[in-house]
Amino acid sequence: MRRYLRLLGVQLRMSVASAMAYRADFLVEGAMSAAWMAVALLPLFVLYGERDTVAGWDAPSALVVLAYFMGVRAVVEGVVNPSLVELVDRIRTGAFDYVLLKPVDAQLLVSGSRYEPWKVLDLLGAAGVAVYAFVLRGHGPEPGHLLVGLALFATGVLAMYALWILCAAASFWVVRLDNLTYLLSAIFDTARWPVQVFRGAWRIVFTFVIPVAVMTTYPAMALLGALDAGTALASAGGALALLGLSRLVWRAAIRSYTSASS
Amino acid sequence: MRSGTSRALRALPTLFRVGVAETVAYRAEFLVWLLTSTLPLVMLGLWTSVAGEGPFRGYASPDFVAYYLATLVVRNLTGSWVSWQVSEEVRTGALAMRLLRPVHPFVALGASHLAAVPFRTIVALPIALVLLASSGASALSGDPGQLLCVLPSVALAWLVTFATLFTIGSLAFFITKSMAIANLYFGLFSLLSGYLLPLPLLPRWVATVAELTPFPAMLTTPVELLTRTLSGADLARLLGVQLGWAAATVLVALTVWRLGVRRFEAVGG
Amino acid sequence: MIRADELTKHFKVHRRKPGFAAALASVFRRRYEVVRAVENVSFRIERGERVGFLGPNGAGKTTTLKLLAGLLHPTSGAVTVDGYVPSKRPPELLGSITLVMGQKSQLIWDLPPSETYAMNRAIFDVPKAEFDATLAELTELLELGKLVDKPTRQLSLGERMKCELAAALLHRPKTLFLDEPTIGLDVAMQLAIRDFVRRYNQRHEATVLLTSHYMDDVVALCPRILVIDEGKLVHDGDLRQLVKTMDPDKRVSFTLTSEVGADELERLGAVILREGTRVTLRVVEREIPAVVGRLLGPLHVADLAIEDPPLEEILRAMFGKAREERAASEAAEAGGAT
Repeated sequence: MRRYLRLLGVQLRMSVASAMAYRADFLVEGAMSAAWMAVALLPLFVLYGERDTVAGWDAPSALVVLAYFMGVRAVVEGVVNPSLVELVDRIRTGAFDYVLLKPVDAQLLVSGSRYEPWKVLDLLGAAGVAVYAFVLRGHGPEPGHLLVGLALFATGVLAMYALWILCAAASFWVVRLDNLTYLLSAIFDTARWPVQVFRGAWRIVFTFVIPVAVMTTYPAMALLGALDAGTALASAGGALALLGLSRLVWRAAIRSYTSASS
Repeated sequence: MRSGTSRALRALPTLFRVGVAETVAYRAEFLVWLLTSTLPLVMLGLWTSVAGEGPFRGYASPDFVAYYLATLVVRNLTGSWVSWQVSEEVRTGALAMRLLRPVHPFVALGASHLAAVPFRTIVALPIALVLLASSGASALSGDPGQLLCVLPSVALAWLVTFATLFTIGSLAFFITKSMAIANLYFGLFSLLSGYLLPLPLLPRWVATVAELTPFPAMLTTPVELLTRTLSGADLARLLGVQLGWAAATVLVALTVWRLGVRRFEAVGG
Repeated sequence: MIRADELTKHFKVHRRKPGFAAALASVFRRRYEVVRAVENVSFRIERGERVGFLGPNGAGKTTTLKLLAGLLHPTSGAVTVDGYVPSKRPPELLGSITLVMGQKSQLIWDLPPSETYAMNRAIFDVPKAEFDATLAELTELLELGKLVDKPTRQLSLGERMKCELAAALLHRPKTLFLDEPTIGLDVAMQLAIRDFVRRYNQRHEATVLLTSHYMDDVVALCPRILVIDEGKLVHDGDLRQLVKTMDPDKRVSFTLTSEVGADELERLGAVILREGTRVTLRVVEREIPAVVGRLLGPLHVADLAIEDPPLEEILRAMFGKAREERAASEAAEAGGAT
């Protein structure tokens, strides 16, 4: 455990060091964050410019979902994505062999190998949108709701991380990971909308198959005080189950890698 | 120059064949890439739900179905990952190999990407037909002459998209974060090309800005030709604008590429 | 101690004929071919030995090394390193072995090697004092100096290899797997690396397994040699013994000082080379005294030297023979089929 904490510290320090080396990126990243926020907000404005509620969601509540979406995406792009891009690189160059030869868990070593510190800006943007949404509502969340909302944010991030690990594992067998990451981002993009907005098959897919609801809708409902305890527990449990599944698949992938590659 | 062009033309069938073989070899990747461009289906789900409570600013449910299906088909035929390809080759230096060949990379890559089109059609068409049969046939344009113009319009849209992506990839010669630019480009494209929302639904000033960019020529134009009945003058104007953007973007792509290669050679890779 | 018992590794490789129709066909059905990379290889290596793997390209040297390091699961057979099964990758074992691949880098490209070292210290949980001592020792042995603080991408190939070795040895492994560690390096750097490996082996009583393109590396470093060809172990033993079994005859070279007839030379031994006055003969060992007596006596030659046959020549003959046999058997099979 101590070993992993020390490792985490070294990796964080190194990422911050290389981020500081390219300080001009701060401006680029800042501009990108702003642009993406505009792209994210515009369809909401179009929709709520015409309607007061959509599928029972008013504008400020939908903004809370959007805030969760931006928050999860910030964490994914700041921590998970860079690490897995590095993983692809390692598999391609063969340096992944060195990862397997280290006496620490390969998944943990790979998962935290790179960070993009500037993505903190996106996280701040997400918090800003959430605060703005509650200003529109005229009152803040209750402390209990805030607590559950934050806890479900964590499980939402874990669910997304689990999906990434599944993709990474798949890349050992057939597909190039960068392709899969595009797919995942594309699917995750739907998480910016409350899941109730979709009907029929879509809602089933987004709740159970690709659980975007677990990542944003349910946490947002929790923060708004509109989520019952059962759904909250099921949501967190679902995320953790997904995490467990991803772990199993990852281990199978490593086994297959070591029995097939040359 | 003349011999270069004729050589390129003679090489085309082979380049095309290799492109097909590549698509087949990377069939899983290809399928994933296809699935990636299913955003229109998600938007379709969203807006048909919304329109289910009553038409949204003149768009009823079938209108949305027709619009997003057309978007899906056009996007599947025109999209490509060439910006990623070019920037990777520049970054890793694999480009040097390409420079040694007597065929311009724009043509070589173009042929290999065109080669993927038949496969994309195989996958995209059934989806479109099924959904069309189930709901939105009435929202398609009924004028056969106009529908015939869809083909050249899609071809032009492909060229504008390809040239733009090629330019973005070539930026890797000058900056290290060219893929960040590609991300930004995709954000702008989603918004301004009508990929996310039909342009008329956007706030007026955004739509006006969009008209000044090549983005509508990449997607909205062929989609409009498919889904709306237009006057002959409008039809000619739309195609003319598309042609203009095609020429402009190809010119920019070739220029940026040439400047980049000069820089590449000067630095020595 | 390393044990391999009837170690075997087969790969399934996808094969496709060129052409459009074949491309389409392979969408639906893929043909596979089995490559027998390692076939029934058995050996034991004691603690502190330096062992070299020799064999032509694609003979299975790297695959064997990867099987020993636990990067590959054997198809059949067993392997243990210090009593552990490498393919299970127990942390205790991983903490005491290391693998260096000349063509793959573990250094972080954009950062100085010292950062990779810091990371490896965290990964292997090396106490600070021990880490500092080891790094100081490696810095001295490898003459790293200021290299560790330059970004890796700015290092030359040789400098990078030295830093790579240091990164691989910071946790003081007891077993070293070195796969082509000198590939692409100039002669001076090659000698430096060779020297370092020998000193590390002696100082820490570490087991060293080495594959190399350069026969000289193996000859200079490894008292014991495993020759692998077509995935099979064809020789295990010391160099002298290999030379003896393959080609027991000596090479006798000298410079003529007077005119000597060709038949006169033929009577002494087989003439391998004759360039002007420079002659090399192949002579059976027990006739050496008589031949030398005659050369130094009546024939008055100068610069007389008696040597073992060069290793390159022996290996070429060895692998060449195996290849010819295979070609012959394939031809026979093809003949039988028609």
